[in-house]
Amino acid sequence: MLNPQSAQSVIDHGISLGADFAELFVEQSQSNIISTLSNQVQSVESGIDFGIGIRLVYGSKVLYGYTNKPEADELKRIMSELAAKDLRAPGISSTSFDYRQIEDLHSAQRTLSIDSEVESKVAFLMAADAAARAEGNMISQTRGTCRQKQQNIELFNSEGLHTADTRNYIRTGLTSIASDGSDQATGSWSDGGLLGWELQDDISAEKTGSEASRQALVNLGARPCPSGRMPVIIGNGFGGVIFHEACGHLLETTSVAKKASVFHDQMGQMIANPRVNAVDDGLLLKQWGSINIDDEGLDTQRTQLIKDGQLTSFLVDRIGAEQTGFSATGSGRRESYKFAPASRMRNTFIEPGDAELDDMIASIDKGIYASHMGGGSVQPGTGEFNFAVTEGYYIEHGKIKYPVKAATLISTGPAVLKEISMVGKDFSLACGMCGSVSGSVPTSVGQATLKVDDILVGGNA
Amino acid sequence: MSIENQAQQVIDLVSAAGAMGDLIIDQGESLSLKASEGELEEYKVSSSQILGLRVIKDGKVGTAYSEAVDKNALNSLVDQALTNASFTVTEAHERIQLNDNRLKTDDAVLCPAEDVEIEHKIKFCLDMERDLVAKPKVKNVPYNSVQDITGQRHVFSSAGLNASSKSRMCVAYAYALIEDGDKNAMQGAGQASRLFADLNVNDLVERAYSNTIDILDGSPVASGHYDVIFDEEMQASLFQVFSMMFSGKSAKDGVNPMREKLGHAIADPRLNIIDQPLNSQGFGYSLFDAEGIATHATPLIVDGVLNTLIHNSATASFFDVVTTGHASRSPKSTMGVGLHQIEISAGDATSVDLLCSEYLLLTDMTGLHSGANAISGDFSFGASGYLCQDGERVRPVRGITVAGNFYEMLRKIALIGKDQYWNWEKSALMPQVRFADIAISG
Repeated sequence: MLNPQSAQSVIDHGISLGADFAELFVEQSQSNIISTLSNQVQSVESGIDFGIGIRLVYGSKVLYGYTNKPEADELKRIMSELAAKDLRAPGISSTSFDYRQIEDLHSAQRTLSIDSEVESKVAFLMAADAAARAEGNMISQTRGTCRQKQQNIELFNSEGLHTADTRNYIRTGLTSIASDGSDQATGSWSDGGLLGWELQDDISAEKTGSEASRQALVNLGARPCPSGRMPVIIGNGFGGVIFHEACGHLLETTSVAKKASVFHDQMGQMIANPRVNAVDDGLLLKQWGSINIDDEGLDTQRTQLIKDGQLTSFLVDRIGAEQTGFSATGSGRRESYKFAPASRMRNTFIEPGDAELDDMIASIDKGIYASHMGGGSVQPGTGEFNFAVTEGYYIEHGKIKYPVKAATLISTGPAVLKEISMVGKDFSLACGMCGSVSGSVPTSVGQATLKVDDILVGGNA
Repeated sequence: MSIENQAQQVIDLVSAAGAMGDLIIDQGESLSLKASEGELEEYKVSSSQILGLRVIKDGKVGTAYSEAVDKNALNSLVDQALTNASFTVTEAHERIQLNDNRLKTDDAVLCPAEDVEIEHKIKFCLDMERDLVAKPKVKNVPYNSVQDITGQRHVFSSAGLNASSKSRMCVAYAYALIEDGDKNAMQGAGQASRLFADLNVNDLVERAYSNTIDILDGSPVASGHYDVIFDEEMQASLFQVFSMMFSGKSAKDGVNPMREKLGHAIADPRLNIIDQPLNSQGFGYSLFDAEGIATHATPLIVDGVLNTLIHNSATASFFDVVTTGHASRSPKSTMGVGLHQIEISAGDATSVDLLCSEYLLLTDMTGLHSGANAISGDFSFGASGYLCQDGERVRPVRGITVAGNFYEMLRKIALIGKDQYWNWEKSALMPQVRFADIAISG
C-alpha cells in the first residue's frame, strides 16, 4: 500500500529527528453492512477507510499523528510537527527493510474483496426473521445485521520491520422485540469470527432467530429483580465478560505501567480462587479476537494470565515492555490508523472446570442465575466494575423460580476473583467489541458457567 | 482538489447516473496531549477528511463512504452507493430535499481565532498533572488530556444545497487516583470552551481533587427507595441514554414506545424539555441538520405532554408531518435522527425546597452503555455519590446500584430547581431535578 522507498525515507526522517523509534502503520479497510428491519432490507452500506498512523517514540514519550494523505512529504511534515519540541541529535538513519511474510493462520474464503454476497446474507437474515416470528405473535419487530470487514495493514519501523497482514471479520445477528401491548422487551443473538461469509456454513439462521425471540419473550414476562448481595451463577459464553471487566483490563500494561491497576504489583501472588485459571489467547483458529500478528508487527501468542489462582502474566505491548520490564506478549492492538497501539485483550477466558449447573443451582438458597450477560465496564485504578444481566432467573431454595428483568452486577476485580467457587464444563466463547485507549477492537470473552458466592445485584424490586 | 470541486465531481457522477444525491464532507484537525510523571507522555496530531454519499435512484436509497479522495476513489464511491441502492426496497418517504440553501456558520462565534503557542498548551497539560499529583494522597493522574479540535462539515446536494459549518472545541480533563491504606478512589473533572484561554487549570485541578478525595471514604447505604438528585453530568448522561424516546426514526421502525403517546401526558406536568440547536453557548449548536435544513427550537415535552417526536424529511413524510430539522448522518451511516442540544426548562423549586430532608446525590454512574434498555425504559447502573440531608452532604456513598424504569421515573418527579446548569461538555442545559422513590441497592 505504501512503497518501501517512500516508507524508508519517512522512517529515516523520524530517526534524523532524534527519535528512538519510528513506525508507520498503513491501513486500507473495506466494510459492508446490511441491515434488515422485519422482512425487508433497510440499508446496505459500504466504504473504504484509508490512512497512515505515524508513531515516534522518545524514551517513554509517544508522539502520534495520522493522515489520509500517503505522500512521503506529507508524512515527513507530520513527523517534523510531532517532533518539533523533542528534537535531539540525529540517530543513525539508514533503515533497510527486511520484508517478513506472515503465515495466515485464519485464511478466509468468501471474503469481501471477492464479493459482498448481499443476496446470500439477506437470505440468511430473512430466514432468521422468519424463525424469530415463528416463536409467537408477540414478536412485534426484528432487526438483523450482517457486517463484513476486510482490514489490510502494512507496518514499517526503524528496526527494519516491514510486514503486512489481512484480517477478515464477519459478524451477523438478530434482535427481536416482544410486545404485549403495554410493555416491550428485547432479546438478541449473534455469531462472528475472523473469517469470511463461510461463517454461514457453521451457524443456523433458525437458531439466530429463535434464540433472539426466546430471550425477548422470557424478558417480557420477567418480574423486577431482587436487589442486594447474593450468590450469582453466570452463564457460559458471553458471561465471560465478568473476567474481561473484573480482571482482563487490569492486567493490560496500559494501566499496569501507570500503576493505575490494582494488580500492578501482584505478579506471582494469589489474586483469585485456586479454581480459577485464565488465558488470553490470540491463536485460536478463526476466533473473533484472534490475530496473526499484533498491530506492532509482533507474533501473537497464548498467554496464561492466572494459573490456579496465581497471577502469571500481564498483557504487554512494546511500550509496556519497556516500562515494566516484562516481555511483550503480542498484545499491541488498535482500532485503526487513528490510534497508537496499546496492550489489549484478544480471546480472554476462564478455563473450564468440573462443576455441574444443577449442583450450582442446588447450592443457592436465594440468588440469581444470569444465563445471558450484556456488556460492562471497569475503572482499572480501583478495580470497580459493572456488567449487565440480559436474561436472568431468581433462585430460591435451590430451585429456579421465575425470570427477572434487567439488573446490573457490581463488585471489584480483586473481590470477585476470590468469590468464584465453582466452574462448570460447558465452555464456550462469544464475540464482543472492547473499547479502550486505542479504540474499539474485536475481542472474544468466554467461560463455562460459574458461580460467584457474593456480588451486589442491582435490581428494581 | 478543493472541497467544492470534489463535491461537484461526485454530484455530477450521481446526476449522470440518473440519480439524486447528497454528500457530506467532514474534515477535522486535532491536537491531543497527555502528561505522566511530569513529562509529556503523548502528543497526537491529526488531519482527516471523509466523504459520505447518499444516493436515491428509482426510489431506492444507497450510501457509501471513502477516506480516499483521488479520482478513482470518487468514482468508486458513486458506484458503491448506486450498487448498494439496488439491493434495497423502494423507500417512498426518503427523498433528496429540493433545498438550495446557502448556509454558513459564523466563525467569529463558533471558531474564534486565537493565537496560542504550542508551548502554552504543553505547559497547561504538565501543570495540570503536576498540581494534581502534588495534592495529598494522590498516587497519580492516569487519565488526563488537553485537546484542541477543529471540525468542519459541508453538505452538498444535487438540488444545489451548499451548507457548511466550522467549530472549535478546547478540552481539558484529569482523573486522579487517590490511595489511602486499603482504600482508593478515582474521579475527575473536565472543562470545554471555544477559546483555549478560557480553560482554567487551577479550577480544574481543585474540582478533580475534591471529586476524588470527597468520595474516598464512601460505603454503601442500606438498600431501599430514596429520593435521588443526579448531578449535572449524570442527569445529562441519563437523558442522553434514553433520547431514543424522541426518535421519529425509531417510531417509524416500530421500536419507540412513545410512538402512540403523542399528545398524551408522559411526565410530571412541571416537566418541559426543548431541543435548542441555536444556543451557541453549547457545543451541540447546529445551524442546519444533515439534510441542510435550517434548525429551530423544538419543544419536545410541554407541561408533561409529549409534543412531538424529532424528524428528518423521511420520517416526517411517513407520519405526514413536516421535518423538525433533526436529520442526522455521519459520513459512514445512513440517515437517522438526533437531538442537537437538549434543555430542561427551569422549574420553580428553591434550593431550600429542592434539597430538603434526606436524599441521595449521585455524582457517578457506571455501565450506562450496557445497563439501560431504551425500548423498555428499564435501567440498572453502578453508582456513587453522597447521602445528603437538608442540602448538606452527610457522608459519601459507593458500591451501590440505582435501578428503575426511566419512563416511569419521568412521572415521579418531586421538584425541579430554578437554576439551569451545563454539563462540562456543554451538551445539555438542565436544572436539578429531584426524583422520588428510586430503588437503591447497597
